[in-house]
Amino acid sequence: MTEPTVTLGRFFEQVRDGELTAIRCAACGALAIPPKQLCPECGARQWEPVPLSGEGTIASYTVIRVAPRGHADDAPYAIAAVRLREGVSVLGRVVDIPLDTLAIGLPVRFRPISVKDRSAIGFGPA
Amino acid sequence: MRRVAVIGVGVTKFGRHERTSAELFAEAAADALADAEMPASRVQALYYGNVVGGETEKQLHTGPQAASVLGIPTVPTTRFETACASSHAAFRHAVMEVASGASDVVLVGGAERVLNVPTADSTEYFAYASDASWEQTLGLTFPGVFALVARAHMHKYGTTEEQMAAVAVKNHKHGVLNPKAQFRKEITLETVLSSPRVADPLKLYDCCPFTDGGAALVLVSEDVARRARRPIWVLASAAASDWMLIGDKRDLSRVPATERAAAAAYRQAGIGPQDVDVVELHDCFTIAEIVATEGLGLFEPGAGGLAAEKGWTSLGGKIPVNPSGGLKAKGHPIGATGAAQICEVVTQLRGEAGPRQVEGARRGLTHTLGGNTATVLVSLFGRD
Repeated sequence: MTEPTVTLGRFFEQVRDGELTAIRCAACGALAIPPKQLCPECGARQWEPVPLSGEGTIASYTVIRVAPRGHADDAPYAIAAVRLREGVSVLGRVVDIPLDTLAIGLPVRFRPISVKDRSAIGFGPA
Repeated sequence: MRRVAVIGVGVTKFGRHERTSAELFAEAAADALADAEMPASRVQALYYGNVVGGETEKQLHTGPQAASVLGIPTVPTTRFETACASSHAAFRHAVMEVASGASDVVLVGGAERVLNVPTADSTEYFAYASDASWEQTLGLTFPGVFALVARAHMHKYGTTEEQMAAVAVKNHKHGVLNPKAQFRKEITLETVLSSPRVADPLKLYDCCPFTDGGAALVLVSEDVARRARRPIWVLASAAASDWMLIGDKRDLSRVPATERAAAAAYRQAGIGPQDVDVVELHDCFTIAEIVATEGLGLFEPGAGGLAAEKGWTSLGGKIPVNPSGGLKAKGHPIGATGAAQICEVVTQLRGEAGPRQVEGARRGLTHTLGGNTATVLVSLFGRD
């Protein structure tokens, strides 16, 4: 068995430390969000960790007004799908951007946040 | 592979019930067996869909429980969980069991009970079908998932909130004609547009309700079907999956799993979207219907909003979509939904849908989407 290059737990520990880490396939160069065992492009099983810039633009977004139990105190809050400069996308909570100024294409920058004491991805102004 | 047919259908009233999901399924299944004129003793297997039984009813192992309450405790049962597509996944596997020759008579169905818990709890349980570490952590809800789809579709194609609202108005209008529907009340565009915001740009009336209910059908081999009164043939049943994480999906304005499942189903049946007369598709949110009509090839990408606005998907329109009222008005008991859609199309192809009948319907399609667009099933049906 091969321990993944970046486990899910390790990824979110690094998020807590202010780092976003992708993995790159050593065989074909495809970039992916961890954890993955096999490259979805070529099937190889050899990954290398790659630090991401954390810079990207909003690909889509929503403002959650009816929240699940446990998140109600935060509502309304925005969640955005962000296309990072390197070409991969991740979801994150929007922080410190007025909700009425959100737009597809808006530049944003990653910042670590904590939601209910769990490490999570946030995006603030670029 | 052998030909397979549906010869009996049963659906409970959708809405609030004071009975367990197993009781709801059992009522629908007994109705389906009676409709098929099939004794329960001939059933060889049960394929069952149930999603949040572990949360809302503290109940796992819901397959044998459902079979026991129905009164067929010794048949092999399997419970399927592919989020909101669960009983359609159960159906596809049951089709393979009958087509392969392993069984001649199989019962398929599903049930769900959610209105016994507060909305904040059901919202949380449904969110379990999105990724725990990446998405639940952020407080993403299912309206939130489809709000991301809606925003991307609006940006790419100019789809409007009014066009999305037209889907809700149309499905409520259809629901009035369905005695089993949860909501039997017409609404206006203004009702939708002025309703409380849930996850921008989606408002309350863009969202299907939480629903209790059950649905079941009797699936048989060609030999058995030839002795039945009104067999409806299964022309195809196909499944497709896609990336689990929203972030891994390349274009949020599309649902690639719908496009792949539809392509596979049309190929199996040897027909195309132009040959379909009636469609029951997964309108968990108004935008979901618009994107599904495009993914199924009923309209060009980007034209789904216009189709809703122009009434092309209404009863009497070019291609009637969700004559039952859809998830929006009929209701969405998630474990039962796929089976209930099939029951509606079978009823339509038999010509027994009463005031909501699509005149002369010969071929029908059902489309069920699971969770964060990562599971889709598409099946095609035809009458003799």
